[in-house]
Amino acid sequence: MKVYHQTGFRYQWNLECYQSGIGDGIIFSPVNIDADKLLGIDKKLKSAGFLDPQLYLLNEAKGALETYPYFPGNLKPDFSTPDMDSSHVQLTRLCIDYQMANKFRFIVIPTRHYEENPSTFFSQSNDYFITPFCDYIEEQNIKNEILLSVIVKPIMLNDVEKRNEVLNWITGRQKVEGVYMILENSFVGKQIKDFEYLFNVLKFIRILKDNQMQVHIGYTNTEGLLYSVAMPDSITIGSYENLRSFGIKRFRDQENGPMRSPKARLYSSRLLQWMDYQYVEAMRHLIPDYESYFDDSEYRPLMFKPDYNWHFQKPEPYKHYFKIFYNQVRNLPEKQSGRIDFLKNEVGNALSRFKEIENVVLLDDDSNGSHLPTWFNVLNAFQKELAQ
Amino acid sequence: MIKNCRIIKDLAQGGQKTVKLAEHPNFGLVVIKHGPIKSFTSLERIKREVELLTVLRSDFYPRQHHFSIDVKTREFEIVEEYIEGGTLREAMGTLKSTDEIFRLIYGLTEGLKIIWDKNIVHRDLKPENIIIRPDGRPCIIDLGIARFLDLEALTKTISPLGPCTPVYAAPEQLSNNKRIIDARTDFFALGIIALELYLGVHPFDPIFVGNQYSIVENILQNKFILEKDNVSCDKRMSDFIQKILQLQPYQRFRNYQMLQSYISQNVIS
Repeated sequence: MKVYHQTGFRYQWNLECYQSGIGDGIIFSPVNIDADKLLGIDKKLKSAGFLDPQLYLLNEAKGALETYPYFPGNLKPDFSTPDMDSSHVQLTRLCIDYQMANKFRFIVIPTRHYEENPSTFFSQSNDYFITPFCDYIEEQNIKNEILLSVIVKPIMLNDVEKRNEVLNWITGRQKVEGVYMILENSFVGKQIKDFEYLFNVLKFIRILKDNQMQVHIGYTNTEGLLYSVAMPDSITIGSYENLRSFGIKRFRDQENGPMRSPKARLYSSRLLQWMDYQYVEAMRHLIPDYESYFDDSEYRPLMFKPDYNWHFQKPEPYKHYFKIFYNQVRNLPEKQSGRIDFLKNEVGNALSRFKEIENVVLLDDDSNGSHLPTWFNVLNAFQKELAQ
Repeated sequence: MIKNCRIIKDLAQGGQKTVKLAEHPNFGLVVIKHGPIKSFTSLERIKREVELLTVLRSDFYPRQHHFSIDVKTREFEIVEEYIEGGTLREAMGTLKSTDEIFRLIYGLTEGLKIIWDKNIVHRDLKPENIIIRPDGRPCIIDLGIARFLDLEALTKTISPLGPCTPVYAAPEQLSNNKRIIDARTDFFALGIIALELYLGVHPFDPIFVGNQYSIVENILQNKFILEKDNVSCDKRMSDFIQKILQLQPYQRFRNYQMLQSYISQNVIS
């Protein structure tokens, strides 16, 4: 299983880490980098990755999106859905030509985002994106593998009819080799603690893999480790939270409401958790060997200095996470059964460590590993499902 | 064209068309199909079938020699190659072993992939629409209700049943769920044919399933048999069937390459 950098704001951190051997490829974000600048980036940094075309909202000129030749607003001012009837062929050509000029590994077919998918969603996706993309790729004799962007909403996982509908649609296109799967949800809290949801995600990935499709999961947080037991082809590492959990707000021209600065957090592979830095500080005062609960990296000495000024915009916690999480994934067993047992064991160890910590330092629900019992149960349920 | 033909005998006569065996001085034995054009839809279906067969030029399909429409009488005439041999229905009972059946199914997929690659679904695969040539090679006939996925559908979405022969239809045809009809719909029919050859009876037949439903209802409920009194279950066959006769298309083989690969790995000799 590969790990791609999900880039966004401060994408240079990802590029720097990738150049130092962290990660297997980069997913580029048009909102955050000018089209010409991306074209100028060394091809070596692009040859293993792909572009997230970000046509989710069709005509919201967020960030640098309007610098892209395929951006609908560049085809026609005030572009709206009916304009797709006359523009989808042109949009397709511009989008593919741009991806090809960058020499990415994959060609990605875009998707649109709706709060609730209309009944015409699948037919419109076929007519406006999938069919013209496949036709143009064939016409140009392009040999790159094709990924279809799919935003998977909770209802597509939990409702059998909706799930069947979306799976029949995804698997129905012979020329599409894989899926760029984006899980959209509105869970409150830093970690997903919903058993049904997580179990259904695993079953969904498994069905796509049974269909011999590539599954590249975007915008993953630490749940990527859990998803790994369904044997997807890749998960992602991202810096800010909006790169580790998909939200359409990030693509709106004007985000609603005032921006709130998140608290700085530190990831620990031993705790399978991002922890609020204030608890790290508390542990430093109360637990003599507190450093043993956290991983080592070249960033750690700086972060663990008493005068380190924790802030969510500082690079060290993110670069530390990229390195630690990437190595954690690389150490997962190759075989599915071994991977499940390994993760169950890791979850058990992490829970024991939390018990030790909470003898001295009490943690809140976003730092205390309270998602781990759910992970353990999901792993058990999936293991049972595989055995049937 | 037709006036040059010598009619030999009637092959079939129904409400849709008459079919005659004839001899043409250049083409030899031919089949002449003649019938009324009942609607724009039926004309469009005939035209699509003729145009398709004209470009296919494969031994897996009969060649088209002539097509004409009489606008005054609203009738059509088609002259196509006569395929020697008998239908698979007539050959039922001669192909029984898993290996023989797998080879036939593989051969059929070799022919069908020609149309699947053109985004066309046959939609009416059944033993009556498969001719087994004297040398054993299959020929697929009657593309009259083939679905051209790149062209506008000719069936009304509100119709409760899509065009098909119901007892060989996939669940999505029976519920007229046009959006999910693709090559996997034909896979389902191939699954029924394979299992019918193996068992000697229709696998969804309520007499053998042991319930009071019809074949169509059993297809919709995915109730079928894998063995019967004198035919025991064969693991290779049952694994194949349990993959191909799934209710949802995504549960079947995703494409013909996967289907062919399964068969290749499971034919012993």
